Order: sequence, then C-alpha cells, then structure tokens
Amino acid sequence: MTVSAIEFSRLGPPKLHLFAMKCETCQALSPWWERSHCYKCGGDTLTESELAGTGEITNYTVVYYPPREYVGQEPYVVGHIMMDEGVTLPAPVMGVDPDAVEVGTRVAATLRRMKLGHEGDIYYSYKFVVDDDPAPRKKAPAATRSAVRKPAARKAATPTP
Amino acid sequence: MKVGVLGIGKTPHKIQHEKSLKDLAVEAGRKAMNDAGVSPQDIQMLYVGNVGSVGFNYENSTGLMVAHHLGVVPAGAVRVEAACGTGAWALHLGCVAIASGLYDTVMVLGCEKMNDLATVEGTSIIAQAADSKEEYFSGLTFPSGTALTARKYMQTYGVTEEDLAHTSVKNHYYGARNPSAHLRFECTVEEVMKSAKVADPLKLYEVCPMTDAASALVLCRPEILESQPNRPQVFVTATSMASGTWYQATDTLDDGYNLFAGPAARAYEMAGVTASDIDVAEIYNSFAIQEPLGIEGLGFAKRGDGWKGAKDGSTWLDGKVAVNPSGGLLCKGHPLGATGATQAVDVIEQLRGVAPEGTQRKDAAIGISACRGGPGSVGAIHIYQREG
Repeated sequence: MTVSAIEFSRLGPPKLHLFAMKCETCQALSPWWERSHCYKCGGDTLTESELAGTGEITNYTVVYYPPREYVGQEPYVVGHIMMDEGVTLPAPVMGVDPDAVEVGTRVAATLRRMKLGHEGDIYYSYKFVVDDDPAPRKKAPAATRSAVRKPAARKAATPTP
Repeated sequence: MKVGVLGIGKTPHKIQHEKSLKDLAVEAGRKAMNDAGVSPQDIQMLYVGNVGSVGFNYENSTGLMVAHHLGVVPAGAVRVEAACGTGAWALHLGCVAIASGLYDTVMVLGCEKMNDLATVEGTSIIAQAADSKEEYFSGLTFPSGTALTARKYMQTYGVTEEDLAHTSVKNHYYGARNPSAHLRFECTVEEVMKSAKVADPLKLYEVCPMTDAASALVLCRPEILESQPNRPQVFVTATSMASGTWYQATDTLDDGYNLFAGPAARAYEMAGVTASDIDVAEIYNSFAIQEPLGIEGLGFAKRGDGWKGAKDGSTWLDGKVAVNPSGGLLCKGHPLGATGATQAVDVIEQLRGVAPEGTQRKDAAIGISACRGGPGSVGAIHIYQREG
C-alpha cells in the first residue's frame, strides 16, 4: 500500500480514533469505510458512531510474509475484533504470542506506530492489546471524540510497532 | 447460448525471466490462432485480461500492446480487469461479443508477468485488488485475508488443518503430471502440515506461487465450428458473472458461498445441465481453502462438506466429478490475468481428450470453470460441452 501524506490526511482520521458507520435505515454498524452504502440493507445514509475501543478476538491470522511497508514486523497477528457495540474490525493485535492466540480473548484499542510511509513519514493507527479489564462496556452517548481508550497497565502511545 | 471454441493456446506456467509480458502474450495468442487455423487479420475483436502490468511491469494499455504485437490491428482491442477474475471476465466479454451476433471471430487472451519484482513487491501489488488503503492498512495481505476465511470455515464446520491438507495433496498429485504446471511434485498430508507457515492457518503448500504465463482462446459463431467437422466440437454453453463484497471483514462464509452459487445456478439453467452432469471442473484455488468453498458453491457437495472429496476420492480423476485435474492454481500458479483463461483452456483440453497423461478424465463431455477474485468480489462461471 502506498499512500501519500496528502492522501493520508483524508484516510487518516478513521485510523486515529475509533468509529463505525451506523446505517440510518437498519441501524446496523459497519466498518468505517462503509460511508456510502450499507452492505447489509442497501441504505444510503450512514453516520459516524463512536466506539469505546474494547472487544473480543473472533478470528485471527498470523502474517509471515508482509507487504513491503510492514517488513520487519513479521510475524504479526491480525485479528477480526468484534467490538462491544457489535461491529467487526480488522486490526493488528500486539503483545500476544503468534503461536498462542486465542479466539475469545478480550482486547482494547491503543494508538501505536503502524508503519513507515514511502516518503519517510510515520503512520500511526490503533492496534489492539490484551485487555486487563475484561468487562464489556459501551461508549457513553455523551462521550468526546478522542475515543481511543488506553489500557492503564501499559505504556500509552509508545511509538514501537 | 452457444459459442464455438475454434482454438486454444497457453504458454508454460512458470517463472520465465527470459520472456516479457508481450512475449508471453504473443506466444499464447499465436498458439491459439494456429490451433484455430486463423490469421491475425481474422480476429475482429481482442479482449486482453491483465491485472497488474502497471505495477509488475511499469507498462499500461496492455490490450493495445498485445493487439500491436500480435498483428490484429486494426481490429478493436481492450484490456479487461476484475482482480483475479480477470481472465474469466475477458472470456465472458468474448462470449457476449459472439452471442450478440456482432462478431464472427474474436480472441480472448489473459496474461500476467509477475516475476520481474520480488515477492514482497508483488504481494503489495496484489493487495491492491482489495481496499489496501483502508482494510489492508491493518497489515493484511491476500494470503492472510484468506487465512481468516480458512479459520472461519474450520470454526464453523469443525474441520481441522489436516482435513484441509488433503486438497493440496490432490492438486499436487495432478500438478506433478501436468507439464505446463509451475510446481511439479507430489506431497503428503504430513508434508503439507510441515511446510512453512505463510499466514496461519495457511501453509506454503496451500498457497499458489507467483507465475509468468499467458493463455488464449479463439471464439467463433457456432456455425463456423460446425462447418469444420474435423475440428473438436467444443462449445461454451454458459457464461455467468457476479460481484460480491470488496472487504474481508464483511465477507462471511455466506458471501463466499453466494459468490459462486448465484452465477452457477444461472449457468446450469443457461446450459440446460445440472451439477451432477459435470465431468470435470477447474475451480479457483489460489489458496487451498477456496477449492472446498467452490465445490460447495457449484453444488458438488453440501456446505461444510466441500473438503471431503479430496480425502475420500470423490473429487479425484475417477470420482464423482474430477476437480482440478490440472493441479489447480496451487500447482499451475496464479498469473492473475491469465488464470481465468487458463482454466478455460484446461477444461477444453479435457473435453477434446488431449489433457496430459494421468490427468485426462475418461469420456469428459461436460466441464465447468469457476473463477473468483478480490476478497469476495468476483464470481465467474463458464460451462463447456462437447458435441459428437
């Protein structure tokens, strides 16, 4: 994937705070990229809906042959995370042994360095780490837009992949 | 629908550092024209399937490039692209062109030259067939995206990695007997299980290689073929296409099933046959898990049972239906834009009775090819029948 800095100014926001798209017709949540069309019901009006940042691993893979910009990070785990609000997002899961990932593990979002861009720029994105506080929770309606909840027991926003 | 197959041709499927994209395309195109007994000036329209020449080879306008070097100018020529379904889409357009009555003779050609770049670059280019800037920003690749599908299948149907490994064993048994295949060796379940991890749970022997190749077909109005009774009377009798989700995260097992089940049902109706009539099937399997998914989508097994045929023999050469007697993409490799055309050529060889020794289905008369592309984005079904 090659993204210019200009393009990332458009693509970046969904990677820096967590939200899903909510269909005004069927109320279903979809990943952030479904901005135009609800894949579930065909509705054409979707709005951003904040996520609390916690969920559960429902599926995962371990990448041993990464694309160019992720070389050096392999092997790494990419999970399908079922967020507590009820939408599945793909994301890296950090701090777990690739040979011992378990479906059902509770995880929480944290902001991390994702990769180096081809112009030498650094891309940040949310990743997931094992949640130390396993009780499911949902975003309070009045929550602010800052969104990404940092697990208390871990160093926040450490710029290491 | 009835479209005559006048000629077929394909290059070897392997790494070919000595040949360029245009060399491969010209080689396959000339083989098909020689087989058809036509000259370049008999071709009235050229459909060239190619996915990634902009990335793999730093060249574009592939359809025009091939038209020039093949000598079909001034006939119209266009490049067709639909991810890994590209070659099958070129075939669809060729069939539509003949069936519409607008053209008498057209050429369909698929080509891809993938090995000018290192694997890591190729992987990045291939990832552009999905939303590499949004979903695959998470570090996913096509192998790892499909690995998620494999795990979901295993979870849903209680299938083990060993169960799925039989699919690779079957493909490699036949790939070893196919002189045009990229990987020509047999393997056991144990060897599949021990092969290097690519994207857990997918292992090396469950993943296709990157391959340089081209394949071509000359299609014609059925009357033209019928007027030449000494030629093999093989016709395309159905072509049916579908689209699906462009994302892995929204690709449920239902999506993957419907991607084939929908167009397959239409194709069976179009050709007037049923799944049980099919003698031989070439089913897309750039990753082993896609073969059982395809078997189920085409109606050869009920959902969750598609993997069993490779283990119990029912999808081997003498089974209920021979699935991928060419060795499939796992052995032939997956030259992206060529693959759909190669599948067609391989089924047609079966119906002509000229498949390589040890891979020929006895008395094959009805065949099907099923190609897919993207995370779950393209479904393409063609049915072929031999007369006489």
